[in-house]
Amino acid sequence: MDPKSLAFFAAGIGAGLTIMGGAAGIGRLAAAAMEGIARQPNAAGDIRGAMIVAAGLIEGVTFFALIVTIILAIKT
Amino acid sequence: MTALLLALLLQAAPAAASPKPAAEQATATAAGEQAEGPAAVIMHHVVDQPLRLGPLTLRSKHLVFFLIAALLVIVAARLAVRSYHGGKVPHGIGAAVEAVVLFVRDDIAEANIGHGDGRRFTPLLCSFFFFILVAALLGLMPFAATSTGNLAVTMGLALVSFAAQQYAGMSKYGVVGHLHNLIPPGLPVWLLPIMIPVEILSMFTKPFALMIRLFANMLAGHMVVTTLILLISLMAQIHWLGGVAMAPVSIALSLFILLLEVLVAFIQAYIFTLLSAIFIGMYAHPAH
Repeated sequence: MDPKSLAFFAAGIGAGLTIMGGAAGIGRLAAAAMEGIARQPNAAGDIRGAMIVAAGLIEGVTFFALIVTIILAIKT
Repeated sequence: MTALLLALLLQAAPAAASPKPAAEQATATAAGEQAEGPAAVIMHHVVDQPLRLGPLTLRSKHLVFFLIAALLVIVAARLAVRSYHGGKVPHGIGAAVEAVVLFVRDDIAEANIGHGDGRRFTPLLCSFFFFILVAALLGLMPFAATSTGNLAVTMGLALVSFAAQQYAGMSKYGVVGHLHNLIPPGLPVWLLPIMIPVEILSMFTKPFALMIRLFANMLAGHMVVTTLILLISLMAQIHWLGGVAMAPVSIALSLFILLLEVLVAFIQAYIFTLLSAIFIGMYAHPAH
C-alpha cells in the first residue's frame, strides 16, 4: 500500500467523519432553536441571530478538520 | 461560471476524443497524463496565480483583488461621508453605509465592549466587516478571485485583530496589568501553573482560529463549485453522453452553492467582526 493510496483512503474516511460531527452538532443546535422559537415566537429574531453565530462557530471547527482532509486528498 | 465550464470542457475534449485509453486512465489513477488530474485542476482554481492582462503580468491575483476590495471600501466610505455635507439627511449610498455602520456599532461593538470603548473600536470593526464582505462578494464574479481565500490575507486580518485585543488590554491596564488580568478571579493557587500557560496559549489561538475559519470558509465554497463542474468532464471521460447528462445537474448544484456562498460571505464577515469584538471586550473589561 503506497503512501498516496493510503492518503486518499484516509481523506475519504476523514471527510465522512468530519461531516458526521459537524452535521450532528448543527442539527442539535437547529432543533433547540426551533423549540425555542416555538415556545416564544416573539424571541424569534434573537434566537435566529444566536443560532447563526453558533452555527458559524461549529462550522469553523469543522473546517479545521476539513483542511486536514484536503491536504491529504491533494497529495502528489 | 460558463467560462469555467467551457475551460473545463475544453480540457476534457482531447481525452473524450480517444474513449478507450482515456477510460482506462481515468479509472486507473487520478493523475492522468493527457490532462492534469482532478486534484491539480481544483488546486489550480483556488490557489494564488499570476494575473495576465495583455502585456502586463501581475504576480498575484489575490493581491490585485485585495487592493480592489480595499479601494471599493474606501471609495464607498468617502462617498457616504460626502452625502452628509451641509447637514443634509444622508441619501443613497450614505444611507446604506450608515445602516451597516449603526448595526456594527450598536449590536456588535457596544453590546460586547461597552459604551465608551465600543465607540473607540467601531472604526476597526467596521473596516473588518466591510472589507471581508466586499472581498468575499468580489470573489463570486467570473474570472475574479477571493482575496480572503489566501492564508496570508486572513493572517494579516487576524494579526490586526490580535494587536487590537492587546492594545485594548494594555492601554487600560498597562502591560503587567493586562497580563495579570488573564488570571480568572477566585482561582485556587495550585491551579496557577496550569492556568497561566493555558491563558497565554488562548491569547494566540483566538486569532489563529479567526484566521483559519475565514480562510477555510472562503476556500471551501470555491473548491465545491470547481469540483461540481469538474464532475462534468470526469463523466465525459467515461462517455460523452455522461458529460451531457451530468451538465444540468452540476450547473443546478453549482448555482445553489454560489447562492449559499453569498450568504456565507455575510455570515463570515459578521462572525469575524463579532468574535473580534468579543475578544476585545474580554481584554478591555475582564471579569473582576
